[in-house]
Amino acid sequence: MEESARRVGNYKWVEMRLFEVLGGWVATVPELDVKLRLGTHCYHHAWHAELWHKRLPELREMNPERLTAPANDELVSFIDAMTEPEGPDLTIEKLVGAYRVLIPAKIAAYTYHLNNTSTITDAPTIRSLKFALADELDDWRDGEMMLQSLIETEDELQRAIDHQAKLQRLLLAAGGIAGPGSIGDSYATHEENHA
Amino acid sequence: MRKAFPVEDLARDARFVRVPITDRFNDPRTARVDDGSSKTKRGPGRLTPDRPDAPDAARALMHGIFVGEIQALEGAGRTCWDFEVGAGNGEGVQEVPFELKLDMARQCWDEARHCEISIKLSDHMGTELGEFSENTFLYEAACNPDPVLRLTGVNRALEGLAIDVFNTMREFGDIAGDPVLEFCEDWMLADEVTHVKMGSDWLRRLTANDKPRQERALEFQRVVDKLFSLGGFRGEEDDSPVRLARRFRELAGFEEAEMDTLAEIAREARVEMEARVEANRAAVGTSAH
Repeated sequence: MEESARRVGNYKWVEMRLFEVLGGWVATVPELDVKLRLGTHCYHHAWHAELWHKRLPELREMNPERLTAPANDELVSFIDAMTEPEGPDLTIEKLVGAYRVLIPAKIAAYTYHLNNTSTITDAPTIRSLKFALADELDDWRDGEMMLQSLIETEDELQRAIDHQAKLQRLLLAAGGIAGPGSIGDSYATHEENHA
Repeated sequence: MRKAFPVEDLARDARFVRVPITDRFNDPRTARVDDGSSKTKRGPGRLTPDRPDAPDAARALMHGIFVGEIQALEGAGRTCWDFEVGAGNGEGVQEVPFELKLDMARQCWDEARHCEISIKLSDHMGTELGEFSENTFLYEAACNPDPVLRLTGVNRALEGLAIDVFNTMREFGDIAGDPVLEFCEDWMLADEVTHVKMGSDWLRRLTANDKPRQERALEFQRVVDKLFSLGGFRGEEDDSPVRLARRFRELAGFEEAEMDTLAEIAREARVEMEARVEANRAAVGTSAH
């Protein structure tokens, strides 16, 4: 239960950072279709944050703020870099950070959690994970479509690749949105896990 | 990204043209002046289908709604970003309750839908995006560094105006026999009542123990209300283009006395505008001689 509560606290922290920056970016992007999509997705992630906020007390964490925290300092560095772009000419960088790096990492972590928790005792978390995943997958697709519509030249492609690589390195150092073990360790043996 | 995003940096594509709001206020064409005959009143007057310029007036109003929705989306989004979540009430320490941010995120979604609706309605009415100019006063109100003043100025004053405008357009759609317009405006009106109620609730909650701050917020609202009465554009006169929607404002947390004050503010704005137009006309007449 402690592990589930810790992860849920990490999730809430990440969802908050994401809905805040999507909201903040709305005024900074000139593309009208992107502006509207960011506004819509802003609410999706705020709602996920609210789901996790309400789940924490049910996991014996009566002070939700205590566990609303980043997994580690490296994740803070990743979020700082992801939320940095502001200029109207940086829409590609903004979308790459949200839709090619962070949201896929969230999908992976949520799916791992979904597949590895108790379907009986942790059913409320599973229900919230399924709601969140439905949004994440839809938003991921929207984001990818927006990016593909914006990337029209070699230079723009390179910008997307460079920014993704930079952010991916930072997220690798963090170990994922819930820190090392965000999606378990697929190469650890059963014996190692219980050593 | 910065914590405060100035209005001059607001990002738009090439279709949009900005006109300072002061230019609009000083444009005598927006005023109605009675020259003694009710049939020869100059200016826009009440929006009804029998007006010769009704289609263009409705298209212009619809475009104004559209750019207002974009700015409302941007303003709510900035409130999600500009303040930290904490135990503070946003004064001194820029902290707001978690639930306030959730409300602003919800408003982002609503405003994004309103933009989409407005785009489709504009197309339905034969308008191209950018055909009319944009002023950015709504977003300017959303730049107030005090979250209480920001929500009061935007959610109570400007979203309150949106209630009046949507109700007017909804009635126009009904009278004009345009069920598409009436349907869309009715749904957007429901959202606006929710947004104004958010402003009313947060104003009361965050200033429950701070009456001076509550009064500052209400004063800011009165300033915004007066500016957006646009020389009598919104009011309770028979020929006010946009009518005060008292019933819906009541649902959104407005008290009767507040609405009386608002009606008075609108009357004052109209008298001031008419005096300004008369002065301009006299000056032109004098110089002509």
